[in-house]
Amino acid sequence: MNGTDIGRSTLIGMPPWAIVLFYVLTAAALAIFTWGIVRLVRKYRMGRRAAGRRPAASELLRTFFRAIGNVTVLRDDLYAGIAHLLVLSGFVVLFIGTLIVLVDRDILRFVLPSLVFWEGDFYLGFSTFMDVFGVILLAGLLMLAVRRAFSRLPQLDYRHSFREEVSRRSMAAGDWVFLGLIFFIVIGGFALEAVRLVAVRPEFEVWSPVGWWASDILRSAGMDAGEASSWYPVFWWTHSAASLAFVAYVPWSKAVHMLLAYVSLAWKDETQNASLPAPPENEAGGYTAPTDLTWLELVGLDACIRCGRCHVRCPSSLAGMPLSPRDVILELRNHANNTLLHLRGNGNGLHRMTGDVIPEQTLWSCISCSNCATHCPVGINHVPLMVQMRRALVSDGSVDEQLQQTLVNLQRCGNAMGQSDRMRAKWTKELPFKIRDARREDVEYLWFVGDNASYDPRVQGYTRITAKLFEAAGLDFGILYEAERNAGNDVRRVGEEGLFEMLAEKNIRAFAKSRFRTIVTTDPHSYNTLKNEYPAFGAEYPVIHYTELLAALIENGHLLPVRRVGGRVTYQDPCYLARYNGLENTPRTLLDYAGVELVEMKRRGRDAWCCGAGGGRLWMEDIPAKDERPAEQRIREAAALDGVDTIVTACPKDLVMFTDAIKNVGLEGKFFVRDIAHYVWEAIEQPIPEHLEKEA
Amino acid sequence: MNILVILKQVPDLVEELEINDDGTDLDRTWMRYIPSEYDEHALEQAILLKEEHGGTVTALCLRIGEVDDTLFTAAARGADRLVRIEGDFEGISSRDAAAVYADHIRRGNYDLVLTGVQAHDDLNGPVGARLAAQLEIPYVGVVSGMHLDPETGVIHLHKEYPGGLLTVIRTELPAVVGIQSAVKPPRYVPIAKIRQASKSAEIGEETAEPQSLTPGYTVRRVFKPEGGGRAEIIDGAPEDIAARLVSIFSEHGLVR
Ligand code: SF4
Ligand code: SF4
Repeated sequence: MNGTDIGRSTLIGMPPWAIVLFYVLTAAALAIFTWGIVRLVRKYRMGRRAAGRRPAASELLRTFFRAIGNVTVLRDDLYAGIAHLLVLSGFVVLFIGTLIVLVDRDILRFVLPSLVFWEGDFYLGFSTFMDVFGVILLAGLLMLAVRRAFSRLPQLDYRHSFREEVSRRSMAAGDWVFLGLIFFIVIGGFALEAVRLVAVRPEFEVWSPVGWWASDILRSAGMDAGEASSWYPVFWWTHSAASLAFVAYVPWSKAVHMLLAYVSLAWKDETQNASLPAPPENEAGGYTAPTDLTWLELVGLDACIRCGRCHVRCPSSLAGMPLSPRDVILELRNHANNTLLHLRGNGNGLHRMTGDVIPEQTLWSCISCSNCATHCPVGINHVPLMVQMRRALVSDGSVDEQLQQTLVNLQRCGNAMGQSDRMRAKWTKELPFKIRDARREDVEYLWFVGDNASYDPRVQGYTRITAKLFEAAGLDFGILYEAERNAGNDVRRVGEEGLFEMLAEKNIRAFAKSRFRTIVTTDPHSYNTLKNEYPAFGAEYPVIHYTELLAALIENGHLLPVRRVGGRVTYQDPCYLARYNGLENTPRTLLDYAGVELVEMKRRGRDAWCCGAGGGRLWMEDIPAKDERPAEQRIREAAALDGVDTIVTACPKDLVMFTDAIKNVGLEGKFFVRDIAHYVWEAIEQPIPEHLEKEA
Repeated sequence: MNILVILKQVPDLVEELEINDDGTDLDRTWMRYIPSEYDEHALEQAILLKEEHGGTVTALCLRIGEVDDTLFTAAARGADRLVRIEGDFEGISSRDAAAVYADHIRRGNYDLVLTGVQAHDDLNGPVGARLAAQLEIPYVGVVSGMHLDPETGVIHLHKEYPGGLLTVIRTELPAVVGIQSAVKPPRYVPIAKIRQASKSAEIGEETAEPQSLTPGYTVRRVFKPEGGGRAEIIDGAPEDIAARLVSIFSEHGLVR
């Protein structure tokens, strides 16, 4: 048999009207597809320009391979990741296969017949390849269907977190349509192949193993060639119609994520959570309508495939507060469609986006832990969205009384507690030495102590220990005394941008008056904003966290841990160290140097569970929660570890939150929270002075 | 409807209060001033009236400490006109201040004057009452709600009395009203709006010579109450306080 005999023609034996009909349907499907895409692009163009970022070609390529490789899907859920990988690779291969046939049969055959290649060995290999990937695709679909139908995974629980009356039936039905349609196309393809192989049965078609095997079944069930030939058009039309319908369906359904997720991931600004974008230049200085969103954010809304990964990682959501990042995205999408697609204009007349569509309590429930954005497989940045909407609330003066008081305190005194700025360094009075004033003397390290570490009596003991450690290491350091202001990280995340700028300006003026080389902070929140946000305001200094400094001091021999402190503890990763800034190992190294046994909690590092203080939540009135608050849940998790009686932190806000949480869960005197400095201090064999011991 | 709101700067109690060398007044050298809380309610009430009935709101401040921020904040809240009166007003009594205000009001065209019912640095009788007396128009104080009929120029004022009684008082405009609290608490004003106001709003400047009315009074002595006997103030963390209490009790043989 020579090569040119192997192969086949498509559209065999079809009357001309049928061929014409097929091409007409194809054109219609493509038209609906294009219309859908144009409609989306028009919608996105109603959004704001995204500031600045345009990915380089290399980045686009890298994201392409990451998307094909399912990196973001595999990352946090192996089962779903593998299933998705199977579906995606099967889909891509079958899609490319279809294109190949199209090019060969419908173009080359007519235009350049000498180049026709869908025959001979290529045809055989191609047939096998397509069959195998068809099976792979089916396997993936089956895995997903089983998961959806039989598992009770919380991420697939569509119940609305802040609008209980909303039915998600049609949404769930849509998921099944998506799955079912692909399933139907693949099964239909195999059936079609089988019928064809009953009708005409060239030996070389054993290279289509699945089709061959299925045709054997049909034959043993009694189908003969004639019968098969008469059935063939029915199967052919069904399969073709389903495939064309799918093409048309893509931009109108969640299937569009295959295009949009890529855009969202490729254009995603990874730094945007740690360094928030500026407010839009509208009157509210925040988001009040879908047209305020950037085009990329609008793309993100449509790219969401409601996988629920954000939903099951949101501490506020799990505490039963009226927030779920997934539902925020879905509501915004709905609202954007209602207003931008159907009404045109910004649609503010109907419902206010900020306040009605997304209720105030929902926005205030967010603790800016970024656990949602870190795990979103399609690259949605929830935190900037939440903050932009909060900015609109703040601009309206819609803040609760406690938050209002805090903001006024910050305006007047520069600290959240509303204490005199002149009292900021009062904690130093009990030290046996005087800390230098960085405004008067040159120092190498400027220690930015922060509000909680300076004013909160629950933390001050540890602040003094840190000071003594620096002193014991012979460190050349100073503080700003009353010139220090709250760094503004959480003020910014509350949405009070003007106040953040004011605080930043004051700090930056104090920095400019002082001579130092590096800033070291106690609070991870200050660390984040000083490091990632102040540069945009002209303050570019190296910024390190005190755990980094302590580790360096030990490593170059300035501090000598001579004693193994012992004990079993667990460690709380502060959001603004681990998730926002990737600082996970250094604090653990410190515990290691101190000879403390570290038992890890399951949710750690970038997966860590937030204590609930961030984003200004520490300053607000409680929002009714159906379940235990994040800090309490965390204490229970830590206390359940075998032989662990202490949770170690590297964040003053954690200390404050956990101190209360321990009382609330009734573990006072049995379970403890300590700052990491405590262990370093003990390890360098300095007995903790009695008056500090009590505080610590 | 033209409403005047009188805003007063009072010492910020967050700071430790120092007494001057003569012992007759606070030491105001490093004093930090904040707007009096009741006055902020008066302003909010004025803005609420304006939102409902239209008109203008004028915010007036004697120059005591830094007042521009207070005025710009008032503009950010919705005040249309800002007036700062320059003069030597530090430590001025409400009685003498009333004369200055009255002078301004006579030259203006106001239907309603709102002021905080009192200020915490001068509990010598509310400035509103003294002002009304000088202008010979009605005064109602300790008001926590109001309803205005712009057609007839009649205002109904809500006032709470001890014992859980509420009254509604009717008066004709012009009048002076001392506000205990606005119908809704003052809203938060974001810094961005204050900054914007400080760029766009203008402060009208006036000067006045404060007169000491006679017969008057003088403050003889200002002092902190001396600690009675052997009081010991225990401060610190709750644990420390508890520990100290236990040790005191055991020192006195109250616990073992
Ligand atoms: S926002 Fe992202 S993580 Fe959340 S449901 Fe949508 S796709 Fe999933
Ligand atoms: S940042 Fe944290 S609290 Fe806010 S929506 Fe995301 S997961 Fe929830």
